Amino acid sequence: MIALLIVAQVLRISVPYLFAAAGGLLSERAGIVALTLEGFMAAGAFGAAIGTHYSGSPALGLGAGVAAGALLASVHAMATIRFRADQVVCGIALNLLVAGGCAFTLRLAFDSSSNSPRIAALGEGLGSGLAATFANPLVWGAFAILPAMWWLLYRTRFGLRVRAVGEHPEAATSVGIGVPRVRYLAVILSGAIAALGGAYLAFDQHKFTDGMTAGRGFIAIAAVIFGRWEPVRALGACLLFAVAETVQIRLQGSTALPSQFVEMIPYALTIVALAGFGGKSAAPSALGRSEG
Amino acid sequence: MMGILACGGKPDAASPKHAGQFRVALLTPGPISDQAWNAGAYAGLMRIKDSLGAQVSHVQTKTPAEFEENFRQYGTQGYDLVFGHGFEFQDAAERVSAEFPRTVFVTTSGGRTGPNLAGMDFAFEEGSYLAGMAAASVSKAGRIGAIGGADLPPVKASFAAFEAGARAVNPGVVVIVSYLGSWDDVSAGKEQALAQIGRGVDVIFQNADAAGLGVIQGARERQVLAIGANANQNGVAPGTMLGSVVIDLPHALLTVAREVRDGKFVPRVISLGSRDEVVSWTGSPALSRPVPAAVALRIDSVRARMRAGAFRLSSASAPHK
Repeated sequence: MIALLIVAQVLRISVPYLFAAAGGLLSERAGIVALTLEGFMAAGAFGAAIGTHYSGSPALGLGAGVAAGALLASVHAMATIRFRADQVVCGIALNLLVAGGCAFTLRLAFDSSSNSPRIAALGEGLGSGLAATFANPLVWGAFAILPAMWWLLYRTRFGLRVRAVGEHPEAATSVGIGVPRVRYLAVILSGAIAALGGAYLAFDQHKFTDGMTAGRGFIAIAAVIFGRWEPVRALGACLLFAVAETVQIRLQGSTALPSQFVEMIPYALTIVALAGFGGKSAAPSALGRSEG
Repeated sequence: MMGILACGGKPDAASPKHAGQFRVALLTPGPISDQAWNAGAYAGLMRIKDSLGAQVSHVQTKTPAEFEENFRQYGTQGYDLVFGHGFEFQDAAERVSAEFPRTVFVTTSGGRTGPNLAGMDFAFEEGSYLAGMAAASVSKAGRIGAIGGADLPPVKASFAAFEAGARAVNPGVVVIVSYLGSWDDVSAGKEQALAQIGRGVDVIFQNADAAGLGVIQGARERQVLAIGANANQNGVAPGTMLGSVVIDLPHALLTVAREVRDGKFVPRVISLGSRDEVVSWTGSPALSRPVPAAVALRIDSVRARMRAGAFRLSSASAPHK
């Protein structure tokens, strides 16, 4: 029973990482740095909460969250592809814009700078307690998304083009691939997928709260890099980070170690993982180059 | 983390400046809609505005650099009184207060003082002790939990008092204490609560501001009881809340503001507790599984002794300075 509880906790914690990492992986394989994941997730969480609140339907809310992520991603795509803005700077700027924009809109709509009203959750009523985790469609979706990404990248024509524009945009152009078009699609899709992770967080809390993504988008980028931009490895990385967090949570209150030391575990692991296993050689060659 | 950067811009005053008008500002470490610590302070600021006709301003801050920058901003603008809402504001307040002698800086937790610097010391431990008594009396498992945002001295002292109160009712009670390392990660709050519940805990005392809402959400889903902190959170999840350890922040902030306005401010550690009716344990009336009558009577008697100043918490749960 305890083992099952721990497994369920690892699964829940990895859900936002998996969606965000899948989105980030797609964007980066197309050559666009995925620093906006945090913003995509926040937009997804916000859209899901607002959409559910006004429509009364979590399914429509989920749609609104995905649309919000895709919309933000299209702004990012426009700025970095069409106008060749620096991808890192643009990513950070958009993250700030989303954070401020959510607080501002909440204040206008609900007279609260950080909390939405309580919303119904997707998959609510399919099970309670432990069963709720396993009955949640977003949990299943999260574990399917990276294998699906593998299939997309390695088994479809679109995936081949994504990899081509991320590795060698000039070569891709020379064989008639519209580099901007492929990148637009990849980035917008990446925003939509990462937004699912944010929507999960909002449904899990039955509301949107300011700062609820809490840096998970950045952990997801770490998972993509640690996974050497390969979907299945990234899945392993997300799980590893979720396990570390679960260990941290479980060690709290049950050990003589100072709480600060225990809290450090997931971050220390991230640094060790990145220092030991990242490596430039694995990155898509054209990553971060806007002139492609 | 990004939210705060975006919100931590220049403080915006609520109304245009009038010469000679009393001006009060508040820096909170988190969103004022946390229905807890920060919401209480903002309510206090609003009461200062309404009761004293003050011009007020609020800004949300996160990092020590932001604390200092915003303190300085208000000092430059000639504010009369600036509150830094928490223990973590002390260093910044101490540094900046030396530069702006005409502005009074008050941190709402902590023991540092200076010519224009005061700290507040809420006897939050007293309410926490009573909460511990209540928690132990309703716990079927004899296991109760406490979840804090960060391992800060006031939070630690509160949890120690919670444990002492619980032991007074059930000497064999097991108290599990966890910290989140975050005051706004609701998801971490919920997962920590679920982990404690998985270990058999059936009453959880949260002191984690906005992240604490996640703790309450977790308790609600698994049908265990939760205890709120700082503000009266009994309405957050009526069937889930055993009660709240309430600090009457509006009352406390207004008291200090009145002193400053009337020129009667004396730099000191402003101690407020049960005796001033600023700290209290407020049981939830909506609960189906209430505190047994015998324990309720004992809680009332301890409360009365605290009000009379006749109840001393042991040194382990006394506030650390």
